[in-house]
Amino acid sequence: MHPIFSDPPAHLPAALRSAAASFPERTVSIFDGRGRSHERRTFPELLAAVERTAGRWAALGVRPGDRVVLTLPTSWSWLEAWFGAMLCGALPVAMARGPAMGAALAHLQKVENLVQRLDARFLLASASYREEAARAGAEHSARICLSAEALAGTTPARVVAPEPEPDDIAFLQLTSGSTGFPRAVMIPHRAAIHNAMASDVAIGAPHGAPTHAWADSMVSWLPLHHDMGLVGCLLLSLMAGHDLYLFQPSTFLARPRLWLEHLGRHGTSFAPAPNFGYQLCLERLKPGDLEGLDLSSWHDAMTGAEMIRPETVRGFCETFAPVGFRPEAFRPCYGLAEGTLAVTFDLRGQGMRTRPLPGDADPLAAAALGGNEVVSVGVPIADTEVRITGPDGSRRRDGEIGEVRVQGPSIFAGYYNDPEASAQCLQNGWLLTGDLGFQHEGELYLTGRVKDLIIVRGHNLMPHEIEWLAEEVTGGGGALRSGAFAVSHGAGGEEAVLVVEAETRDRNRLEPLAEEIRSRIGRTLGLPLADLVFVRRGKIPKTTSGKVQRRQLRDLYLRGEIEQLG
Amino acid sequence: MSFQTKALKILAEISGKDADAITPDMELVAHLNIDSPQALQLLVALEEAFDIEISDEDAAKMDTVQDVLGYLQNANLGTA
Repeated sequence: MHPIFSDPPAHLPAALRSAAASFPERTVSIFDGRGRSHERRTFPELLAAVERTAGRWAALGVRPGDRVVLTLPTSWSWLEAWFGAMLCGALPVAMARGPAMGAALAHLQKVENLVQRLDARFLLASASYREEAARAGAEHSARICLSAEALAGTTPARVVAPEPEPDDIAFLQLTSGSTGFPRAVMIPHRAAIHNAMASDVAIGAPHGAPTHAWADSMVSWLPLHHDMGLVGCLLLSLMAGHDLYLFQPSTFLARPRLWLEHLGRHGTSFAPAPNFGYQLCLERLKPGDLEGLDLSSWHDAMTGAEMIRPETVRGFCETFAPVGFRPEAFRPCYGLAEGTLAVTFDLRGQGMRTRPLPGDADPLAAAALGGNEVVSVGVPIADTEVRITGPDGSRRRDGEIGEVRVQGPSIFAGYYNDPEASAQCLQNGWLLTGDLGFQHEGELYLTGRVKDLIIVRGHNLMPHEIEWLAEEVTGGGGALRSGAFAVSHGAGGEEAVLVVEAETRDRNRLEPLAEEIRSRIGRTLGLPLADLVFVRRGKIPKTTSGKVQRRQLRDLYLRGEIEQLG
Repeated sequence: MSFQTKALKILAEISGKDADAITPDMELVAHLNIDSPQALQLLVALEEAFDIEISDEDAAKMDTVQDVLGYLQNANLGTA
């Protein structure tokens, strides 16, 4: 057993130092935007740069507990600033960058809301960000904005920070919140270390030993602001001592073949992606693109972070079999930000296994799922327990659908500055995931969600984000409501549908309204709507307190029972 | 082929719409249904077709077909 695992580090800075000491030859490589060349650093070089950056944060006045927000591409600046802030005892918060095209103003506003809500000490962003923020009236952002270049040009000071306790918060992970604003998930050092180590053991299970004993490298295009990219790729690779190759997410989205090409080139043993990543490879690669690929060293292709579509898995296996991809390499898993990342893993290593949707399932569950087949996402990681419960918290029997609850050392410590949301999600030490599923012979099968989340092409959206924009257009202000929900688009994943209440049934007035709504959502969220439906005022189902009942609305829509205007 | 025709052809290929049906006032997301992976595909296709490099900041300002055409025009491709 290697040193990190025989004597686990108490906190992430210790884990980083231990990684540099234990694996002095191991490297992190970051590809340029085109995915052509990469720059490589050894773990000790990375540690030295992180320590210098910590000194720079200290010189700039960063103190323990300060929130430091990053909105940067995958880069050395990102890695140094994120770990560097942590070495100062501050809480790094990685934020997504805006959509690739358009929506520039909307992103500035989103960042402004976040830095205000977190009362952030610094916002690390591109060189032109401050000016753009000032022009857009994003005052807080403009005031605390710092460019990566300015940070690098700061003379380091001595870092004075107390040694973190295992239960201290290490970083904040952003996740979609039900209020339309992102919530900041507090991840303790203990949880981050446990999750990475438990993942290492779980991924290695079919091979008879944790990955640190046999795997060499990992290639990832996952964004570092996402838990799968951060914990499942970066932290895991550092702690288990794998060479890590990092692509920009945008490089993969533009040219998915590059990911597969480099998996083969570096003899990579394992690499994760959400379902949509595999689906994108299927959609974009033409038969001629297979030439030159070699996926025979890819032992473990983890798939998780969103619903796993059996047709994607089968299509991928079939398409890439000629270049050495083995179906048993598919390793379904399940996780969420509130669980640090991984909750369950397939431990058998026999490829995807499915079961039919149970007979007691809601008749529309199949429509929401996009089929009758449910994928096993495996069993809980070490020291972790999963239960399926009814709304009152009572346990469901094997094969009965209910909410997934999780307990274990990887569970988060609550949402930053949001005790109410924390109390809803964390009850008596159990994490209420908001995901629906059943257990069969100890394995978890996910069938849907209780929570109103919409996942489109790897992006998580809360319905409120869409509804607010629509209601701004209809001028509802509470009188005219709207409801957004996800519908299955088969292997393509989910699509967003929006139902809007309107005062008029005149087609000539509804058309420009639809136009304006689609435009606002497109320009703000970068999201195309699969369908936009108008209904009469009061036709959207609501609770007595006036809350839109989105699941009921979705059910009406799927049954074709919505009375459409226009 | 004018740079407009070339750009519209690329937009048509990626969005699956007919090039003749694409007008400058159209929005990339709302009208052409371009999702996030397609937006990246579009940027790369434009960069390759016109041998240019589009910065993230410039790309973030492109909401409409006209924004794309205007950018290409300013990139001195009007004579291409």
